[in-house]
Amino acid sequence: MPLLEVKDLKTYFSTDDGVVKAVDGVSFSIEKGETLGIVGESGSGKSVTCLTIMGLNNPKNTISMGEALFNGEDLLTMSPGRLRQLRGNDIAMIFQDPMTSLNPVHTIGTQLVEAVRLHRDLTKKQGRARALELLKQVGIPRAEQRIDDYPHQFSGGMRQRVMIAMALINDPDLLIADEPTTALDVTTQAQILALIDRLQADYNSAVIMITHDLGVVAEIADDVVVMYAAEVAEHGPVEAIFRKPRHPYTWGLMGSLPRLDTDVERLVQIQGHPPSLLRPPSGCRFHPRCPYVMDICRQVDPVLAPTGDDPRHLQACHLDEETKSREAEKLLAGMMAGAS
Amino acid sequence: MLRYLVRRILWAVLLFVVVTLIAFVLFFLIPANPAQLACGKACTQQDVQRVAHALGTDRPVYTQYGWFLGRLMPVSFKGGPHLKKPNLGRSFVNRRDVDSVVAEAAPVTASLVFGAMILWMLIALPVGILSALRPRSLLDRASMTGVLIGISLHPVFIGLMLSFLIGYEAHLTPIAGYANFFGGLYGAPGGPIQWAYHLILPWITLAILNAAIYVRMIRANVMETMNEDFVRTARAKGAPEFRVMRAHILRNALLPIVTMLGMDVAAALGGAIFTETVFGLNGLGYNAIQAIGNYDSPTVMGIIVFATTAIIVMNLIVDLLYAWIDPRIRLV
Amino acid sequence: MTAPQTESPAGLDLTGDELLVVEDLKKHFPVRRGIVFQKEIAAVKAVDGVSFAIREGETLGVVGESGCGKSTMARCVMKLLEPTAGRIVFRGHDITNLTRAEMRPYRREMMMIFQDPYASLNPRKRVGFIVAEALEVHKLGTPAEIKRRVQELLDVVGLNPEHYNRFPHEFSGGQRQRIGIARALAVNPKLIVCDEPVSALDVSVQAQILNLLKDLQRDFGLTYIFIAHDLNVVRHISDRVLVMYLGQVVESASRADLYGAPKHPYTGALLSAVPVPDPETGHRRKRIVLEGDVPNPINPPSACRFHPRCPRFVAGHCDVEPPELLVPAGSQPDHVTRCHYPLERWPLTEQEMRQAGAAVAPPVA
Repeated sequence: MPLLEVKDLKTYFSTDDGVVKAVDGVSFSIEKGETLGIVGESGSGKSVTCLTIMGLNNPKNTISMGEALFNGEDLLTMSPGRLRQLRGNDIAMIFQDPMTSLNPVHTIGTQLVEAVRLHRDLTKKQGRARALELLKQVGIPRAEQRIDDYPHQFSGGMRQRVMIAMALINDPDLLIADEPTTALDVTTQAQILALIDRLQADYNSAVIMITHDLGVVAEIADDVVVMYAAEVAEHGPVEAIFRKPRHPYTWGLMGSLPRLDTDVERLVQIQGHPPSLLRPPSGCRFHPRCPYVMDICRQVDPVLAPTGDDPRHLQACHLDEETKSREAEKLLAGMMAGAS
Repeated sequence: MLRYLVRRILWAVLLFVVVTLIAFVLFFLIPANPAQLACGKACTQQDVQRVAHALGTDRPVYTQYGWFLGRLMPVSFKGGPHLKKPNLGRSFVNRRDVDSVVAEAAPVTASLVFGAMILWMLIALPVGILSALRPRSLLDRASMTGVLIGISLHPVFIGLMLSFLIGYEAHLTPIAGYANFFGGLYGAPGGPIQWAYHLILPWITLAILNAAIYVRMIRANVMETMNEDFVRTARAKGAPEFRVMRAHILRNALLPIVTMLGMDVAAALGGAIFTETVFGLNGLGYNAIQAIGNYDSPTVMGIIVFATTAIIVMNLIVDLLYAWIDPRIRLV
Repeated sequence: MTAPQTESPAGLDLTGDELLVVEDLKKHFPVRRGIVFQKEIAAVKAVDGVSFAIREGETLGVVGESGCGKSTMARCVMKLLEPTAGRIVFRGHDITNLTRAEMRPYRREMMMIFQDPYASLNPRKRVGFIVAEALEVHKLGTPAEIKRRVQELLDVVGLNPEHYNRFPHEFSGGQRQRIGIARALAVNPKLIVCDEPVSALDVSVQAQILNLLKDLQRDFGLTYIFIAHDLNVVRHISDRVLVMYLGQVVESASRADLYGAPKHPYTGALLSAVPVPDPETGHRRKRIVLEGDVPNPINPPSACRFHPRCPRFVAGHCDVEPPELLVPAGSQPDHVTRCHYPLERWPLTEQEMRQAGAAVAPPVA
């Protein structure tokens, strides 16, 4: 049994303008010790997917359907009390903006101790010892003194370390990281990624890494889900996604990225911009921006199906295998040609 | 911290001088002769001049202001420097010590203001928080309607209606008047129960307007704070909703309320004029109105001195309190 | 070389045909304290002696982490901030100490594009008005001519010219950045300073804007100063690159030299920290992970400002003697770095960097 198995997850928000289908039929699973990368642009539904799993959407205007089985228990239908037991204990989450994700009026020690004592029957003193241990593990210098400091006294990178310490304080089985390095500088990003990598090895936790950065995914993920307009466009092992991409949107993402190892005069650009989820395009949601669009794309929404040669590599596109194979080769060859 | 206090006190002194000077000059500009009023209609021109000389109103404004400041100083240089008791002078009208006028009126106003403050916070906190938790619910709509009514009604109208309906028609409370908390003088009603019994209608009157304003403020602040990222973090940790509200939302949402409360209370201490007038409470506002009508500048100045000091002190308390509850603020 | 060599105190090798020359630019923000009278007790040295030159039609990339002073430097060059010291020479004219009025003729030749396309557009003004504003300020044409010019500009940046009557909120993030570009282009500037123009945009939209900027440079002969923290983006668009750290230039070279043979350990660390979108090299690669954060610019480290975080720090030298910007042995004459122990080769792992550093360090006396 996988640690987490998400089946046909749907999250709809009701707004003044109508129903926004923020997540519309997403499935994936993850085992202990694995890292799953979810890539997509803003509004693709990658963050909402994880907030739904954590039960952190505003219940007043949200409807969630489908299943999210954590060790066989459905997170979507369990009682709020049971969900609270799991949250922060078995499943923990790190957010994008370390500047606003910590409460400004409590010391980081107070906030860390709160996280332990919500789930464990420890005295304040024991909780503080545990908090200190974690702060040292995530590499906060002079942790004994800094534990009584307030969040505003830390830099962005240090705050993200505190968030990681807080997420790991109860040895969770699953860590969900929502763009944990987007707000940070590149050298700090390298520190944080190395830290998550090391801690994952130490605790054998599963990690879901949400990001828009294909580089981050390539470096740390075992499996990759590419999301576009609330749906999964492509899903497979990281080598398959980068070596044999099979969806025009994935090609676009790869081609549009300027990178250190290749030289191109012009970047591949995906025309237009992501669609509104209030009124998503008919058929394949990518069709208005797709250079390979065919008649069938406008009418029929492609199902996520295995590619010809790899049952674990799934994609949702009407193009025939031969064209996809040829175009992917062309794209990769183009990038190789530019390689210095 | 010390540096901060020193700077604040220097500013406070400057502010004090400016406020009193403006008040003094304004008084001097009024085309009325306090001596004529103090003396009475029957006085001759010479009588009036004698009275003016006795009151000092025949001297230029800067001399009078100098005397006023001199009386407030704790030292005197007349006959060698020595310490003395600062005082506010005597009333033009009845020659009473203004010190004692203020000392009698201040507890009345303080009783009214602090009592009303407790009442309005007791109403505004739960209503504001519940409205924020369930926006657009029946409770929220009802409370927002109440807020509109509370803000639009004038305290004089509220006071008169309450006094008429509850005091006069239903005989449930006194119509007007004040009872001393520590026992009445000369057989007048007194003691804590009579005190509260006499003040209940004034409290409600003053509280209605403020409760309305505070419900709206608290509701808006709580709703804003609920959407903060750190609240989501608290939920992600597995904190129960009650704890999220108490430890994470309220502490942050109420920060600006503290400042506002300090300012409102300080301003009201200068005289909740309408409420005091309607209920005949012999407080600072009531006394100020009387004194202005009589061109009794020492009494008016005395009340201004008291009100300014109250505002400065409350401001300082609010700042210190703010620095204590919000670690991001440092007093420098 | 036949072009006359111009004397430059900052050691720049000038040929006389530079569009913009910046020499020893400094911007210090005072930190004040006092009870009644505030006296200056310290200064944040946001920019502390930056020199560079750009030729017409070139793109100068500026990289560095947040707080390195790159944005402050750009605002000084644009004269949106008064520089504390230094010299800014634009098209041969010293504009360092010009008053607002004297700056006006230069304003239309230097424009700026900002990071947050939404915050930099007035939400209550129509797009046509926003784009036309500079034209109207500089009185460039009749209303009819200006309207025609605005529609032309919208077309150039890839927006529908019919949309000049819409408000900024009706556009997506990428389209708003296009509006910002149209506004900058309106008065035919020579120089455009782009301050993190694509950092707030999604990858696919970022590619559109980068392509647009390149097209415009080709079509209109524009010169860019391109500030970004994303090394991939800077590499894609720049001819020359400046690397800044704590208000100073630590390395400056042509794009190929800087990315192919970095000499400063900080540049090396930055390059190695960039994730590569390729699972094989990505997983295999060993990063140089820097310790700690960027220090406080009020009180920067002594001598070499990078020494507390440097993997090849040599005690007694790097923390005592400040390094000069010099051409390292075997490099192109336009490649300068501020390091006593520049990197011998590239790529280097952290381990190799330390070892090589130990080998070249003088024996401790």
